[in-house]
Amino acid sequence: MTLADHRTPAPRPGWLAGQSTGVRLARHTLTLVALAVVLVPFADLAVLTRDPWAELARMAKGLAWPAWGAMESPLEALGLTVAVALWGTLGGIVLGFPLALLFARSRLIRAGCAFVRAIHELFWALLFLQVFGLSAATALMALAIPYAGIFAKVFAEILEQIPGAPRDALPPGVSRLSRFVYAELPLAWTRLAAYTRYRFECALRASVLLGFVGLPTLGFQLETAFREGRYHEAGALLWLFYLLIASLPWWGHRRLMPLLVLGGAFLLGPWPAVDGGLLWRFVSQDIWPPALLEGDWRGLIDWLARIPDLAPAIGNTLLLGLLGSVGALLVALALWPLACRHFGNPVTRLVGRGLLLFLRSTPELMLAFFFLLLLGPSLLPAWLALALHNGALIAFLVARHADAITPGMPGVNAPGRLAYELLPRLYPGMLALLYYRAEVILRETAILGMLGVATLGYYIDANFEYLLFDVAFFLLLVTAALNIAVDALSRRLRPRETAIIDDPCQR
Amino acid sequence: MGESRDTLLSLAGVDLVHGDRVVLPGLHLDLRRDERVALLGPSGAGKSTLLGVLRRRLGDSAAWCPQQHGLVPQLAVYHNVYMGRLAEHSALANLWNLVRPLPGPWRQVAELCDALGLEGLMRRPVGQLSGGQRQRVAIARALYQQRELFLGDEPVASVDPHQALRLLALIEARHATSVIALHQRELALSHFDRVWGLRDGRLVIDAPARELTLADLDGLYPDADGQTGEARSRGRP
Repeated sequence: MTLADHRTPAPRPGWLAGQSTGVRLARHTLTLVALAVVLVPFADLAVLTRDPWAELARMAKGLAWPAWGAMESPLEALGLTVAVALWGTLGGIVLGFPLALLFARSRLIRAGCAFVRAIHELFWALLFLQVFGLSAATALMALAIPYAGIFAKVFAEILEQIPGAPRDALPPGVSRLSRFVYAELPLAWTRLAAYTRYRFECALRASVLLGFVGLPTLGFQLETAFREGRYHEAGALLWLFYLLIASLPWWGHRRLMPLLVLGGAFLLGPWPAVDGGLLWRFVSQDIWPPALLEGDWRGLIDWLARIPDLAPAIGNTLLLGLLGSVGALLVALALWPLACRHFGNPVTRLVGRGLLLFLRSTPELMLAFFFLLLLGPSLLPAWLALALHNGALIAFLVARHADAITPGMPGVNAPGRLAYELLPRLYPGMLALLYYRAEVILRETAILGMLGVATLGYYIDANFEYLLFDVAFFLLLVTAALNIAVDALSRRLRPRETAIIDDPCQR
Repeated sequence: MGESRDTLLSLAGVDLVHGDRVVLPGLHLDLRRDERVALLGPSGAGKSTLLGVLRRRLGDSAAWCPQQHGLVPQLAVYHNVYMGRLAEHSALANLWNLVRPLPGPWRQVAELCDALGLEGLMRRPVGQLSGGQRQRVAIARALYQQRELFLGDEPVASVDPHQALRLLALIEARHATSVIALHQRELALSHFDRVWGLRDGRLVIDAPARELTLADLDGLYPDADGQTGEARSRGRP
């Protein structure tokens, strides 16, 4: 054997070959993108309006010159929006916190929480609308019930992650309650409070959206103004909403909260007179197929046969979920450097941060609505809305995380910094975040149906409209099952690499 | 050996496990009443495992001062010390104590804090204290338990030598029996009746402190092997 033989280097690896984290995640991502590309032809992405640009110009003009005077009692709508969000979140905590303590121990509670989480706030609103009418009770329950499931899960996760040393140091025989208030709650308090704050922000967006089903929050006026083409008024309402979100740190201060809670209580009335008999009839009869209640199995099969073919709707829902997730990933990859301190100059960063703030504060339904008016009813507006909103959210979190990183090699040019210093550190967390968002994206996919996109939500909305509660409820169950299945799948597919961005406040 | 003194606890050929790994196989030792034991050995030798077993077996008769202190940084010094006797009050009293300190415990904790040089800090969150102050809070909590016996996992590791002496004296004044893991070999010889030395999964030293020299103790630490190789043969096989 000659010396030269020893010097022969190891064979150069092929394309994306190897087992390092980066290469594995790159293959993972490319598979995901390839899957989306293969499936795109099955999606209806046609642009149906004749002249989208003229419409867009009118909308932009409305946003640029908002007609402040045209709004009807904006303060009242604003107050109700805040009051519903606040009391909905509170209700969620009251219901969810005790469940969080039992979450790890009871499979039944975990399943129940997964179920209430899997149904979007707007669908809960549609359901309660039948019983409580257009009242604050509907709005509060629509927020409090799914949030109870979310709080139970997230609080349980937070409590699980607190350090165990203080608990182990306790003398033997300490009661469960004493142990909790001394050695567990104080350690989790900051994170619990931070998550509650984040959830309140979500509740504000959801509270606006409740206007879309007719509750008199900000969204009601917003939807009417948009639908009727009064873009200057819609612009003013949108600005009002952005101001509300942007000024949250000031008016949402900890000390002001008790005042807001009490004041909000007065805005919520008048309360509906609930007819117990009607409520019971709705729960025990209206939402179930009559054949099932009578035990008539043949009738039940007939009932099932009469339900319109769900396969295309389920297909569209899943397809939109996949396209939305992949789109969000691409948007996030493209946008995060804009808001990150390692790139560009102060002006580009300001613009980038503003863009991300704008995109992630606008509720997806709002964005979809906007694109729908622009592009006509197909999957395209829904896809754009999901990708932009969720992509901007992920980009914002990744940029914030990148800001905390100090590159090890100073003086590398921007592409080098991106590819060698930052992306390898950020990408695992980014992908993990995307898989968390996948559940949210799918849930939103379903509600986009309310705008006429042919997902499951479209049929749910239609059946509620025709007062076919049994069919609507059945479809809700199908939606929930689909969400739970996709959530389980995404948890399995989620890369196991160290998720550096592991903060529930970011999901 | 002082067989006349009664034995509090005796391990005879017990395997001590940490997680699912046997750290100290076939351990033999006796803990006698009114004997102060210093526990020495390099880190990872199984000191914490041994203390954990003693704590479990001794139950309510032992006060416990863990290595990472087990303090709650968000709670005040007073509440952290109070936690030593959390089991002796009802859950309701414990809850009320968070709202407003109970008068009796407040007085007793104040006395302890004075003795430990923590006066004026009772209402400060532990997270705002220095390392040495936290260590003293952990000791105060163990003393507050008022048990017959003191078990400490390096309770004087992060304080200066003078303070270490003072703290050991405080522990000594309130507990006739103690097992304390230490780093400072000199203290083991000057302030304790007996030394247990762990190395390589075995109890290589179990002897009265007055029969030992610093060189014997050096043998416990692998880095010192070069100079004092012969010292390891001493003590119990």
